[in-house]
Amino acid sequence: MNISGDQLVEAVKYLAAGLCMGLGAIGPAIGEGIAAAHALDGMARQPEMEASLLRTMIIGQAITESTGIYSLVVAIILLFVA
Amino acid sequence: MLENLGKKLILHLQLGPVRISFDLVTILVAVGVTGFLAWGAWWLRRGLPRDPEAPLSRRAAFLISVLELAETQLLGGFPKRLARDLLPLILTLFLYVLFCNWVSVLPIPYIVSPTQDLNVTFSLALLVYTLAHYYGARERGLVAHLRSYLEPYPFLLPMNLIGDFGRTLSHAFRLFGNVLGGAILTTIVAVKFAPLVVPAGLNLWFGLFVGAIQALVFALLASAYIHIAVE
Repeated sequence: MNISGDQLVEAVKYLAAGLCMGLGAIGPAIGEGIAAAHALDGMARQPEMEASLLRTMIIGQAITESTGIYSLVVAIILLFVA
Repeated sequence: MLENLGKKLILHLQLGPVRISFDLVTILVAVGVTGFLAWGAWWLRRGLPRDPEAPLSRRAAFLISVLELAETQLLGGFPKRLARDLLPLILTLFLYVLFCNWVSVLPIPYIVSPTQDLNVTFSLALLVYTLAHYYGARERGLVAHLRSYLEPYPFLLPMNLIGDFGRTLSHAFRLFGNVLGGAILTTIVAVKFAPLVVPAGLNLWFGLFVGAIQALVFALLASAYIHIAVE
């Protein structure tokens, strides 16, 4: 069975998109978990701060998510554009 | 359905050497959302008495509580005068992004969120970027504002410029990636795995919940960037 160059490129595209998303999701997931854990810590210690802590936690998580979003965008570009 | 995922209804215009493309669905939905928001603002504003001493109607009390909530939640760190100045901008950004995200749960064929188009999110992010510089120059003076790029040391100027650029880039890509990722996931699950109840739940999750969170995050980050610029 002969594999042409086009088929190889197609296969590697899917492989690369999967690797990109899978590896890129690790960092933000750990980071957001740490942020949520510490926010919960703070809320348990000072329940009156809950609203402000929740807001700051969401902003922090959104910024942490950036790298994950970058890998998502790269994966989408690999699958649908490249 | 899956093979139509990246395809769009696009109108091409050739003006001399320049080729301009319009994504018709996105433009129509964005205009529809804008019209809905304008109608809602007009409807809420219509019945209000001109006299500020008049007893509060229910609508006026609702508006006041919403505006005060938005002012404390979205513009908490600003001085009072600047917060009043910025409230319409930030609240409009929030409501526009929120309804652009929510519009995708409407059961109308071919309707998509305008925010899953990078052009929309990028223009919003560039608007915030420009306004942050405008307010920074207005509040601190142009020289002091430009000098803030040399802080804390002059040789860090390239770092500051790259940080500025990357901030705006990630501001746009965050909204775009979240909304588009949700839409693609919903479509793939609907076509490949479970065509019955699951996609509806996924659509509600990504459309309503993630949409609301991302709209809040977009508005909060816009207010934070302007806050950094005016400090």
